[in-house]
Amino acid sequence: MTMRGLQATQAAVLALAGTAFAVCCVLPLAYMVWRSLASAPQGGAPVVAALLLDARQRELLANSTLLGAGTALGATLIGAPLGVALARVALPFKGVLRVALIAPLLLPPYVMGLAWLYLGGSAGLVARMVGRDVLSPWTYSLAGATFVLALVFFPLSMLATEVALRRVDGRSEEAALMVARPGRVLWRITLPLAAPAITAAALLIFVLAISEFGVPGLLRVRVFTTEVFTAFAALYDFNRATILALPLLVVSVLVTAVAAVLVGERLIVTRRGTRAGRPVSFDAWRRFAIVASMCVLLLALVVPLAVLAYEASGVRSFAAIVRGSREAITNSLMLATIGASLVVTIAVWLGYTRARVSRGLGRIADVLWVVLFATPSTVIGVGLIGLWNQPGMVGAVYGTDAMLVLAYLARFVPVAALVLGASVRHVPASHEEAAAVGGAGWLRAMTFIVLPQIRLGILTAWTIAFILAFGELGASILVAPPGATTLPIRIYTIIANTPPAQVAALALLQSAVVFVPLAALGLGVAVREVR
Amino acid sequence: MAGLWIAVAGAACRSVDSAGDSEPTVTVYVSTDRVFSEPVLREYEQRSGVRVNAVYDTEETKSTGLANRLLAEQNRPRADVFWSNEPVRTLVLKSRGVLAPYRSPSAQGIPDALVDPESYWTGFSARMRVIVYNTTLVEPDGAPQSIFDLADPTWKGQVAMADPRFGSTSFHVAALYTRVGNAKMDDFFRKLKMNQVRVVEGNSVVRDLVARGEVKVGLTDTDDVNVAIEDGQPVAMVLPDKEGLGVPMMPNMVSLIANAPHAEQGRALIDYLLSSDVEQMLADSEAVQIPLHAGVPGPENIPAIDSFKPMTLDYAAAASRVEDATMRLASILEL
Repeated sequence: MTMRGLQATQAAVLALAGTAFAVCCVLPLAYMVWRSLASAPQGGAPVVAALLLDARQRELLANSTLLGAGTALGATLIGAPLGVALARVALPFKGVLRVALIAPLLLPPYVMGLAWLYLGGSAGLVARMVGRDVLSPWTYSLAGATFVLALVFFPLSMLATEVALRRVDGRSEEAALMVARPGRVLWRITLPLAAPAITAAALLIFVLAISEFGVPGLLRVRVFTTEVFTAFAALYDFNRATILALPLLVVSVLVTAVAAVLVGERLIVTRRGTRAGRPVSFDAWRRFAIVASMCVLLLALVVPLAVLAYEASGVRSFAAIVRGSREAITNSLMLATIGASLVVTIAVWLGYTRARVSRGLGRIADVLWVVLFATPSTVIGVGLIGLWNQPGMVGAVYGTDAMLVLAYLARFVPVAALVLGASVRHVPASHEEAAAVGGAGWLRAMTFIVLPQIRLGILTAWTIAFILAFGELGASILVAPPGATTLPIRIYTIIANTPPAQVAALALLQSAVVFVPLAALGLGVAVREVR
Repeated sequence: MAGLWIAVAGAACRSVDSAGDSEPTVTVYVSTDRVFSEPVLREYEQRSGVRVNAVYDTEETKSTGLANRLLAEQNRPRADVFWSNEPVRTLVLKSRGVLAPYRSPSAQGIPDALVDPESYWTGFSARMRVIVYNTTLVEPDGAPQSIFDLADPTWKGQVAMADPRFGSTSFHVAALYTRVGNAKMDDFFRKLKMNQVRVVEGNSVVRDLVARGEVKVGLTDTDDVNVAIEDGQPVAMVLPDKEGLGVPMMPNMVSLIANAPHAEQGRALIDYLLSSDVEQMLADSEAVQIPLHAGVPGPENIPAIDSFKPMTLDYAAAASRVEDATMRLASILEL
């Protein structure tokens, strides 16, 4: 795609999306980096010194990398097979099962960590039941933190895999089935075609895991994110914090590069026909898929919820807290809906552009999105304050709910762009070319040919953006207007100094509030598919 | 797409309109726990008719906190008042020029040591750093009486403390380094490390570990322990070093923000927060904070302020040691 070949409408729409992306996502980080470099004395010597990590910091960075890689691997190993099962196996009550399997993503990671702590701590439920501490050495470990985060994030891989497999052309699989067993077809034909989406999800999970400090802190795993956090929360040094975030961003870039090498050409547009053949079913694995789904549901949803419900059973004044949270719940649902919709509105054009540009530019876009998404939320929050807390028209936005939406855009447009980029790559450019030959304008081709083919990708990106926006805390607490609140802000400002029962009850409340609309959405989609 | 941007504009206008009406308002950033501070501020709204726009803080390890927001907003402040639950943040903000001086008439009767000579902050309603112990695992007579006892091999693997880089624990360790000196404190923390101290993410986690019996003793704050006691959990507290070094006390601190948009309302709110009525409310709440005005009855579960020796401390000197103590302990405790 060259600028010369762009229609005026196409150029205008893509330029508008690009500008929105630059203003909302790139500027806050650019502002913070500029500020750090500009205020560094002695020709930037302190910047260089901060980047030369000492032995302790290198160990922390290694821990973070292991945590991210382990979580991405674990979540993919759990999520990708489930995605295959949802896409290609005739499972009973599939709509309900899908919604239930997405539900762990709705539990804030910190809450999932808390549930496993109540269960596997040295005086947890297991220790009390068996009469001795058998689990805590494992619970308080890098492996334990990896396990917990994998259980939270596997639905991302599952959704990405399912959406990708629904786009795979069944004809190549049918041809392969004539000479190979289903397992070999899945491994050699089906999964490689879904590799871009699975890889994008794994990258997203890696970034989410290395950005986490709540679960590692809870399970006493030392990670590099805490160094960035310490610079903010203990030393109040914005510049040091921004500089210390750079090693995390470098790791993210390296992992993106490794993923690109591993997946190779498959990260590039697949110019195959789509919907040309009916997707092959792998119903021979139905029983195994059902058992595996139930096991995952048990570990990732039933056990944590049961533990939280057990802990919450001792709560005394929960009803009063729920009553006091009405405004926060309404605010959160409204802002997350607006935020997710705007995120997808911008990201869909970015994803389209990424799918249609050259391989090199596409990879640069992937790296940029991963870096932006890996940027600590506090860096984004402080950047937004610096940019928007100004006199005049710009300053009129600051101190309003719009700042929360801007925070969601800054943090989550890159994620949605990654997801949608992978999705658009399954739509052959020849479809648009054919529409153009038939006289359709670019916008018409997009509206009636491209967007309908990526509707599941759009729905996935919207769902992910909604969940992430609904749970956002780090940037929100810095830019929320005085007197206004979101549910996570309210909950996390209440749980300081409350008994564990109340903390567990509030965690259940947060999960329930976000679960209801998403469950309705998921079941609605399932019913429509059945019809 | 345009429709969605209009929706955002709508959300923005909603707040702009509500901020633009004639109702008198004051904006306060509060790091004192919301469950304790919100009723105090609601009461002020009732009494004064002034709308209070409050921004509350999370526990120190859940987000980077309001002090960062105040620093980031320094060029165009939105807050009028900062109500902090410990001294360090206030003193950092003072040193960075975020605060403005204000000597409230309500500060009359508060001990001089807890009022900034330059009037940038005034202390009220104090908490203490205490040793919490599990009453089913430790007899009252056997509980440690000094924080230095925690390094004794008797308590090996049985001590928890919050991450000393954050919150009231960072103030506590900075105070100890200031009073006791580097060599002795480095040695103490090395011994604590050898004693397999559990460094956890917050003071409430310390309390919960002790209450569940995962460890026998821990270092935390009075309000954390009291919440567990009120909840019927098997914990009790010891005021450490009350015979020697003194018990570390952490007053709330309230300050006016420099160039506050509603400075007059901010001063009025500060007058209210420093009143005996507010100290009484905080003493009667689960926060069990100790009133600093003479004549205000203290909380039932906490010894009166004149019944023990408080640690004498130059708060500014302690705040200036935070960065150094943070770096030392990150290395010694391998954080």
